[in-house]
Amino acid sequence: MTRAVLALVRKDLLLELRGREVVPAMVTFVLASFVLFRFALGGDRLGGGVRAATGLLWVAVVFTAMLGLTRAFAQEREHGIWDGLLATPVDRAAVWLAKACSTFVFLVAMQAVALPLFWLFFLQEGDGPSIPVLIGALVLADAGIASLGAMLAGLASASHAREVLLPVLFLPFAVPLVLVGVQVSVATISPQTSALDTLQRLGFLGLYATIFALLGWALFEYVVED
Amino acid sequence: MSSSEAVRCRGLVRRFGEREALGGVDLDVGEGELVLLTGPNGAGKTTLLRVLATVLRPTGGRAAVFGSELPRSANPARRLLGYAGHEPLLYPLLTAAENLRLYAALQGVDEAAVGPALERVGLARRATDRVSNLSRGMRQRLSLARATLHGPRLLLLDEPVSGLDEEGRGVLRSLLGENGVTALVATHEPQWFAPMPARVVTLRDGRVQG
Repeated sequence: MTRAVLALVRKDLLLELRGREVVPAMVTFVLASFVLFRFALGGDRLGGGVRAATGLLWVAVVFTAMLGLTRAFAQEREHGIWDGLLATPVDRAAVWLAKACSTFVFLVAMQAVALPLFWLFFLQEGDGPSIPVLIGALVLADAGIASLGAMLAGLASASHAREVLLPVLFLPFAVPLVLVGVQVSVATISPQTSALDTLQRLGFLGLYATIFALLGWALFEYVVED
Repeated sequence: MSSSEAVRCRGLVRRFGEREALGGVDLDVGEGELVLLTGPNGAGKTTLLRVLATVLRPTGGRAAVFGSELPRSANPARRLLGYAGHEPLLYPLLTAAENLRLYAALQGVDEAAVGPALERVGLARRATDRVSNLSRGMRQRLSLARATLHGPRLLLLDEPVSGLDEEGRGVLRSLLGENGVTALVATHEPQWFAPMPARVVTLRDGRVQG
């Protein structure tokens, strides 16, 4: 199973390196969002808008992730390759795990560009959120988004209305992620809350990722087999 | 089910919503037998192959591949069958060898099988070419290499002659002529298989005729 997962992840990374369909689109989207947010929050002077900007960072992260997820199974769908994968004896959980791993890598790659941009656009004036906490929260959130998103993208890929279905399925589940992500990030802007609160919120993000990882692992077979 | 039966279907039904694609198919395919599935478009040939390839779950009735009931015991069946559909089921942006290495990992076959498989279909020299740069006939040949990479005992082939170049047709003949290989082939060109001993089964409106 490990070999199959590694082979599928390698395949996704190679396809992205050659096709450049997902990460460049996500980076462009997040950059455009930051430009819009910057103007919406006051143009020249951000003032007290750092908290609002930190919240909007999470909104941008979730919408950007959704953009990537709509392409998660695009190759398999467009070229009928699902049939080829399903006719092999590979565990369906391995297909889910591989897609979750490659989605996680794409999200981290997008954020590696997005965070410096966020700093450039919003954190030049006054206090900002703790960068280590923000990175930790984003990594945990990415794990949750990838686990949940890979499962829902597989489910939506079987539908003719997949472009509509995926956001409808994904966004309600993403609400707690955004709420806690915003709380944990904003709380580190002075005046700060206790380290215990921060740890509890990071723990929630970890728990969220774990729950959807277990669900993806257990349910993906029923999601993709018709 | 007798051990000499590769495929056994009894009252096999498959519906897509209200539409019944297979309406109670009864079919036996003996081990080593070549069976040609013919019939008009929409008769259910592709659906039958996809159910037997474990890509679709039956809605009703029973289907078994080498004694493994579907879908309950699909995994043992998957190790024994090779499926080539309408599409080549290959990633266009990966090379021929990368595609086969991926399927080798999914089938649990040693990567060393990739070279001989490409050799067998005459694509060894195109191993590092992306699939998108191969001609249609070459893709079809590569699709045959993919479907037979793990040495399946049952081949499920959907219109395999269509789009195949002359070299590919030679490859297909040699695959079907291999000792012990059972094949269920959906085709509009049964005459092409005429030199080979084959049984023709006609599907119409999701049922076996005659």
